Amino acid sequence: MPYLNINEVESGVISLAAAFPKAELVQLPEPTFEGRTCHALRIGTHRLEPKPAVVLIGGAHAREWGSSEILVNLAADLLHAHTGGTGLAYGGTSFTSAQVRTIMEELDVVVFPLVNPDGRNYSQTVDPMWRRNRNPARSGGNPAAIGVDLNRNYDHLFDYRTAFHPLAPVRVSDDPADPDQVYQGPEPFSEVETRNVRWLLDRFTRTHWFVDVHSYTQKMLYVWGDDQNQSVDPAKNFRNPLFDGKRGLKDGLLYAEFVDEGDADDSAVLAERFCEALKGVRGTEYTPEPAFDLYPTCGTSDDYAYARHILSDQEEEKILAFTIEWGTAFHPPWAEMKKIVLDVDAGLVQFCLTAAA
Amino acid sequence: MPTAYTILRVRVTAQDADTLRALLRDARPDVGGRIGQNPDGSLSFDAYVSPEQAQDLAREGVSVETIEDATANGRARQAEVGEGDRFAAEDAVPQGLALKVQDI
Repeated sequence: MPYLNINEVESGVISLAAAFPKAELVQLPEPTFEGRTCHALRIGTHRLEPKPAVVLIGGAHAREWGSSEILVNLAADLLHAHTGGTGLAYGGTSFTSAQVRTIMEELDVVVFPLVNPDGRNYSQTVDPMWRRNRNPARSGGNPAAIGVDLNRNYDHLFDYRTAFHPLAPVRVSDDPADPDQVYQGPEPFSEVETRNVRWLLDRFTRTHWFVDVHSYTQKMLYVWGDDQNQSVDPAKNFRNPLFDGKRGLKDGLLYAEFVDEGDADDSAVLAERFCEALKGVRGTEYTPEPAFDLYPTCGTSDDYAYARHILSDQEEEKILAFTIEWGTAFHPPWAEMKKIVLDVDAGLVQFCLTAAA
Repeated sequence: MPTAYTILRVRVTAQDADTLRALLRDARPDVGGRIGQNPDGSLSFDAYVSPEQAQDLAREGVSVETIEDATANGRARQAEVGEGDRFAAEDAVPQGLALKVQDI
């Protein structure tokens, strides 16, 4: 079975919904620029009241093909195992039928495997290194300026020139033709693809966990991405204009982003459990760590998802948010990608089990 | 032989964080993956650049090593993308890659 083309990602999702009563097809509200309608799956036994939800998305960056395969196969594994009353074995990591049942009964697992079908199609048929969507609105006719980096288009510290220190190498751009392919778009949620993700989080009101599947570097990342974490000074937070122009320097003492200590601990535990289960498959080491690196980011899905409860001041809306960076290349040969799918899916099953506990 | 349309995957190593930050600010290469720290304290990342851009990245305190022809590699992977629709048949569904196993 080679990589899925974009029609197969969609038909795979739709066929799972048709075959399994415990899979609900969710149509995203906005078609893409090229007119494609996207679908997600809600997996889990039905209850009258919504269950706590894990929302998993993939395929936002066009060239990171395997993210969609990871999520389609995860959905299929859970549905087949639950229906057949079996457990799941991913190499050296196994889960019992009772553990599969726990996930299906205690959680809504919401899987949105292909956020950016236009971009994936372009990457799979024209330019394999394409990262963005295919919206030409700000290109001015320049083919190299088509598209927006969807993982810079969420509403979090979007005005990076104000928010960050002038010397911070923020990995974002307001230039559509930026060669780093990190054009943020003209405003937060300017793109249908990010609005679809926001809609999904709005629809599943009990979403407590969010994972965005990306490539690469073999890491499991959690918030924040704009600066180092700290749990001492709540005044140092992304909403406070007193710290504008001070964010994003790793070695600086000017700023570090506040995160509730309990959330930081819970996030670290979830990321560690993910990595342990993944390692059990065939020994591959992924590193759990906060997302901030030598270069900060803004407008990313994970920071946005976690920040939602802070902006709404509704603790019950809190979402612990993560980014997986699978593998060591964008396009491994399919034979290797299959092994990576097993690795990451074992980690995600354990992630769901830990969340459900 | 690389052409003007070839994109290379190169491994860029900077001797320290300040050098790396300056490089990222000035050159703005298409970065793949994340930055890693080497045992000697230097820092490395992958970039996807034209052969000309690769030459421009090299400077004092920065070394650039070509890993692969990313364009050629990507083209090879495009040949591994499915054609048609393997789930078009009414009874065809994704099976998942894990083994479905009975409890012991």
